[in-house]
Amino acid sequence: MKAPTKKGQSQSEEQLSLLQTITMEVAVADDLDSALEIVLREVCEKTGWVLGQAWVPNPDTDVLDFVAGWYCGDGELKPFRALSEESHFKPGLGLPGRVWKSEQPAWLEDVTNAPNFPRSAAARTAGLKTGVGIPILSRGKVIAVLEFFMRESREQSERLVNVITAVAGQLDLLKRATRAEAAAREEQFRTLANSISQLAWMADREGYIFWYNDRWYDYTGTTLEEMQGWGWQKVHHPDEVGRVVERIRVAFATGEPWEDTFPLRSKSGEYRWFLSRALPIKDTEGQVVRWFGTNTDITEQRELEQALRENRDQLEQKVTRRTTELSRTNEILRSILSNMGDAVVVADKDNNFLVFNPAAERMFGKGALQMPSTEWSHRYGLYLADKTTPFPHDQLPLLRSIRGEDVDNVEMFVRHEKAPHGLWTEITGRPLRGANGDVLGGVVVCRDITELKEEEFFRAGQSRVLEMIAADAPLADVLTSLVLLMEGQAEGLRCSILLLNRDGKHVRHGAAPNLPDAYVKAVNGAPIGPRNGSCGTAMYRRRPVVVTDVMRDPLWTDYRELALICGLCACWSTPILSAQGDVLGSFAMYREEKRGPRPEETRLTDIATHIAGIAIERQRQQEILREREARINLAAESADLAFWILYPEQNTAWMSERGRRIYGFDSNLPLTCDLILSRVHPDERPDVKATYDRSCALSGTFESEHRLLLPYGKTRWVIMRGRCLKDDEGNLLETIGVTLDVSAQKQADLQLQHQRDEMAHRNRVSLMGEMTASFAHELNQPLTAIANSASAARRFLERGNIDPTLLKELLQDMIADSQRAGEVIRGIRSLVRKEAGVRTILDLNAVITDTVRLVSSDVLSRESVVTTELDPQLPQVNATLVQIQQVLLNLIMNALDAMEGLPPAERRIIISTRSDKGDVAEVRVRDFGTGLPKEKPDKVFDHFFSTKQKGMGMGLAIVRSIIESHGGTIVGENTPDRGARMIVRLPAVRGQTQTVAAA
Amino acid sequence: MSNLSQAEDHEVCLVDDDPSVLKSMHYLLASEGLKVRTFDKAEDFLTYASAHHVPVVVTDIWMDKVTGLEVLARLCAISPKTRVIVITAREDLAARATAMAIGPVAYFMKPFDDEKFIAAVRDALNRGEK
Repeated sequence: MKAPTKKGQSQSEEQLSLLQTITMEVAVADDLDSALEIVLREVCEKTGWVLGQAWVPNPDTDVLDFVAGWYCGDGELKPFRALSEESHFKPGLGLPGRVWKSEQPAWLEDVTNAPNFPRSAAARTAGLKTGVGIPILSRGKVIAVLEFFMRESREQSERLVNVITAVAGQLDLLKRATRAEAAAREEQFRTLANSISQLAWMADREGYIFWYNDRWYDYTGTTLEEMQGWGWQKVHHPDEVGRVVERIRVAFATGEPWEDTFPLRSKSGEYRWFLSRALPIKDTEGQVVRWFGTNTDITEQRELEQALRENRDQLEQKVTRRTTELSRTNEILRSILSNMGDAVVVADKDNNFLVFNPAAERMFGKGALQMPSTEWSHRYGLYLADKTTPFPHDQLPLLRSIRGEDVDNVEMFVRHEKAPHGLWTEITGRPLRGANGDVLGGVVVCRDITELKEEEFFRAGQSRVLEMIAADAPLADVLTSLVLLMEGQAEGLRCSILLLNRDGKHVRHGAAPNLPDAYVKAVNGAPIGPRNGSCGTAMYRRRPVVVTDVMRDPLWTDYRELALICGLCACWSTPILSAQGDVLGSFAMYREEKRGPRPEETRLTDIATHIAGIAIERQRQQEILREREARINLAAESADLAFWILYPEQNTAWMSERGRRIYGFDSNLPLTCDLILSRVHPDERPDVKATYDRSCALSGTFESEHRLLLPYGKTRWVIMRGRCLKDDEGNLLETIGVTLDVSAQKQADLQLQHQRDEMAHRNRVSLMGEMTASFAHELNQPLTAIANSASAARRFLERGNIDPTLLKELLQDMIADSQRAGEVIRGIRSLVRKEAGVRTILDLNAVITDTVRLVSSDVLSRESVVTTELDPQLPQVNATLVQIQQVLLNLIMNALDAMEGLPPAERRIIISTRSDKGDVAEVRVRDFGTGLPKEKPDKVFDHFFSTKQKGMGMGLAIVRSIIESHGGTIVGENTPDRGARMIVRLPAVRGQTQTVAAA
Repeated sequence: MSNLSQAEDHEVCLVDDDPSVLKSMHYLLASEGLKVRTFDKAEDFLTYASAHHVPVVVTDIWMDKVTGLEVLARLCAISPKTRVIVITAREDLAARATAMAIGPVAYFMKPFDDEKFIAAVRDALNRGEK
């Protein structure tokens, strides 16, 4: 016989046990409904259904009514159940109706998709899948229908249906409990028992076995006759049977369920192992009426267990071997851990320390202690880099590693009673992982980096001091910081810095933050010399002086008491030298024990003297710069000068104090290039900016005279001169320059100009006075012509014989002469007008011709002759017509005056023009008169110098000022033969062709 | 002087370097029906006077190159009978005195009264006829 599979075996067992249970429970049920409930519950619980419901035909309405239900308690099933409770099924309708009508079980693999299942929607909501309906028949009539549902999809199981059917059959027993029925029921039970795979038997209350199922006989090859009662001992193994009999007797006697394992001989003679169980079936009074037992073949299971046991033994041996190996490896590992310098700590997932090597114990002051990880920082003295904040628990490298993180180079400060100054450690951590990758714990390696860190701090300290120097912090602060930095590098070290005065003979206090005031005061102002303590001697000798015992060293004779008071024993001093080798001061180290410097201290001294040298030298340079700036400012103050520097790239600017006053800026106002430019008068700003930009582009100098418009509308005249500085690549670096306040000068110039204009006007008026005869002549000529023409016309008319053409001609002449008279008057008026008029482009030849004509009458009346020799190539000039006429009139009148004493035939004036290379227009007025003063011909241009009786001496002075205001020159010279020559040179206008004719 | 051509007795010569004055005086005298000969250069007149009978000349004083005073002086030599009327645009006492010393029949400041001027010219012409 083929042994049933384990699964099938256990299912059958369960079903059988179910049958037993239900049979017993139903036997004690009061009525059908409560029996139904029992059946529903037991079937569901034992065979894996989530919902069971029972339906009973209603004889009045001929439908199935819901009478009982059981469900596994899942809330999702409620709606389906509620729907079922309200439902009634006619024969053939739905699962219950179908079963009722067909009187056969029905199995639905998917109730949500079954054709005749009205509750399919609710079933889908409830998640139900498989459903089965079972009829309960009594005397060939359906007395109830059971239905069960499960969530899994399950193929129809005949056996399950049979079991349930068999169970359901028990209900019939209840309903029709008669002996015959009981017999039938027993028969039913036997049928069922035969259907299972186990060997089964039944015994009466005393344990007399009266029935075996077919499986028993199949296996043992025996008969009921041989087996009944206690005959079963024959198939038991002789070694085991005694124990089995003894135990089962006890069970029968007490009525307790029985279980045992033993071998049974098969019909072929081999023994197989069985697990046997027996349950007592009791009546309503609790009396055992019968025993029901099963024997399940567990031979294979036992063999398997045996094999497992052997396997385990082998495994254990292997484990033992591996453990031995491991312990050796562990030994090596432990040795490494014990001897390595880095601290190693390993902890498991629950933060229990597994490894805490000696280096770790040294680093953290104590070994592995059992405590919550939240106390680690506190107990082991773990801090953040600020040395005061306890290291945050969740950030601890070990815990991060245990969490599965890789942790690299985390710096931690550790301080505890064994390391009161603390130490620095750099920690690397890794999670510990099992073979399957699960994190089992974490490991950290902590390296002591205290020395590195201290060196780093020392360097940072040096950088800070250098930064202070760069930021121009006060020297005393810099040196104090430097001394404190040095003192922090060694225990019990005190330092000082002394500065050498500029006289090179006396010292003054630099920095000594930890030396007593008395000592500092005593040393301040002391002279240097060959026996003046460590420092005074070091500065004097220009080399280090090491005094290991100040009480005995002769250098300290004068300072011994002081040293005693201050508790100083040794003092080593090194001179601080400038880059040029000049002594700037000294750096000294003091100790309270008698000894010389160690290499580390010598190194500190080298660094300290180097940095101190930089600081002192820089401060000296700053002093020099400040003095220079002060001098410049002083010069600027007294010269009314603004000094300024523009940094166009940054749009920033610097300006001297005086400059700020000139420009109207507050002392503290931050200046920009734009701000300075904004002070330039808006009318002139574009020109100034253009001049500046042009100069910057050419890297040249620039000069600009312009007005400043200050706040509240005040204006200032200034001259700004600057120079643009560029780097090697031609980038503009800065523009430096000065601004000169010329307002006062400008005012004076304007006044002078005004006076000059006034004088020139008077000169012109005076000239007019001298020339009235000429003017009268000039005017009378056209007036005469007009009068004559008019008179002629009148006479012709009176005679009545006038030719109209003639009359017209006369009138035309009168008009022309009137205009001529008007021109004369205009010319005179322009000369006497106060304003000289504007500059225009002039042809000097034309101006000369007109002017000569104007004075012709005077020239004639003075029996003189004016001749002109004009250069047709003469360039044009930019000048004021009236002023040029004034110059010519003055020169002509002077010439006429100079020749008054000559015979008329010799009274000649020659006016000539010529071009000098096209750049200059030159006018010469030559006379043959008395000439200029021999010694100083140019004296004639001075104010109030006159050779004439009636002259004011202003004419030539005015002439010169006019010419110079035109950018020209005038010189006077005596000609070799006789007379004088005045030479006027005016700058020519280039590229100008437009000519404005003289009036 | 033997070959002097006979100019008309009432022809008046005018000398002035200012063309418009010259022209206007010409018309003024012409309007009185007088015959007029004009010269804008004193030299031209003197040339003419040396060859022609000139009963009356009206001359300006201040002219380029040769002044009216010279004309007066030269006429004394070449045409002593010519009657001279001087006109000037410029008040000049010295010149006036000089001119009067040489002996013109009339002296006018420009601009002058036309009636008096014409009367002076006619008077000068009539004197010659007498």
